[in-house]
Amino acid sequence: MKASRSSISSTAGGCAGIAAGETAPTLQKEGYEAMITVLRIDDRLIHAQVVIGWGRIIKPDRIVIADDHVSANAWEKSLYMNSVSPDIKVSILSLADTVDQVRGGVFDREKVILLVRNPQNVLTLIDLGFEVDEVNVGGLHYGEGKEKLLDHLYVSKEERSALRELVKRGVTLEARALPGHEPVILNSRVV
Amino acid sequence: MNGTADDTGTIGIIVTHGRLAEELLRTAELIIGTVKDCYAISGSDLCDEELVQRIRHIIVDSGRAHAVIFVDYFGGSCCINSARAIDGIRGVKVVSGVNLPLLLDFLTKQGKMGFEEMVRHLVSRGSESIKELDF
Repeated sequence: MKASRSSISSTAGGCAGIAAGETAPTLQKEGYEAMITVLRIDDRLIHAQVVIGWGRIIKPDRIVIADDHVSANAWEKSLYMNSVSPDIKVSILSLADTVDQVRGGVFDREKVILLVRNPQNVLTLIDLGFEVDEVNVGGLHYGEGKEKLLDHLYVSKEERSALRELVKRGVTLEARALPGHEPVILNSRVV
Repeated sequence: MNGTADDTGTIGIIVTHGRLAEELLRTAELIIGTVKDCYAISGSDLCDEELVQRIRHIIVDSGRAHAVIFVDYFGGSCCINSARAIDGIRGVKVVSGVNLPLLLDFLTKQGKMGFEEMVRHLVSRGSESIKELDF
């Protein structure tokens, strides 16, 4: 969907534009109306680090959780819906619906933080037609059998191979938990 | 983590970001002495599943009828995972916005009121303790 008016590639520029000094990001790329500011991999999805840590810099109009599990589970959905103050809109969508809604212009003229729980879901978004230049690898927590990449990043075999595949597809993996942290480019570490 | 098994009463579990939970408990002990039956978990370093399991284990292993889980930030991961942990378990409540006055009341007013009343009391105690000084 390179030529379409809405694409995550608009995000990528925005994400890359957030310097470690916590300056406000440059959001909009000419020709794109949707303003997905950050595409973030975070297994916690919505949590304090995203809402406050990123929220206070980006000042998003909306947080989108793109997740097939949460979007299909009413109880899990309400957990996340109720966890954000009412001045930020929240959408919880399947991966396919996320692509449809961005393409349909639903989030046009909004600043959006788009969250996925793992790199496999970024691959799915790409397969569904999103163009992704860069992704923020924000939080993958420790679990048994996971490999440590950085202090805040532990990856399973599946996550690691999905990250490798993202690199093959030309995606920049920008790792940092918070906007004020120095970004670490993971690309050479996962191939 | 402090705690002893007993088949009556209510346990407290403080679940927070960073080391806030341990330090809240330690600070409460500075004021009222050794505390039993209250546990502290640093939730932010654990993955969701591990945190949920840890909370459930404490509740089940305590053998108590009731537990109050204190979390720091409404809508944060400690809060969301506490909600997950108590899904399907009766007699457990989650209270967000834990602060020292609220915690001290929990630790010192055990047995003086019923569980539901205690939870209501803690919520109002915590809220009322936040005020602008007007002396």
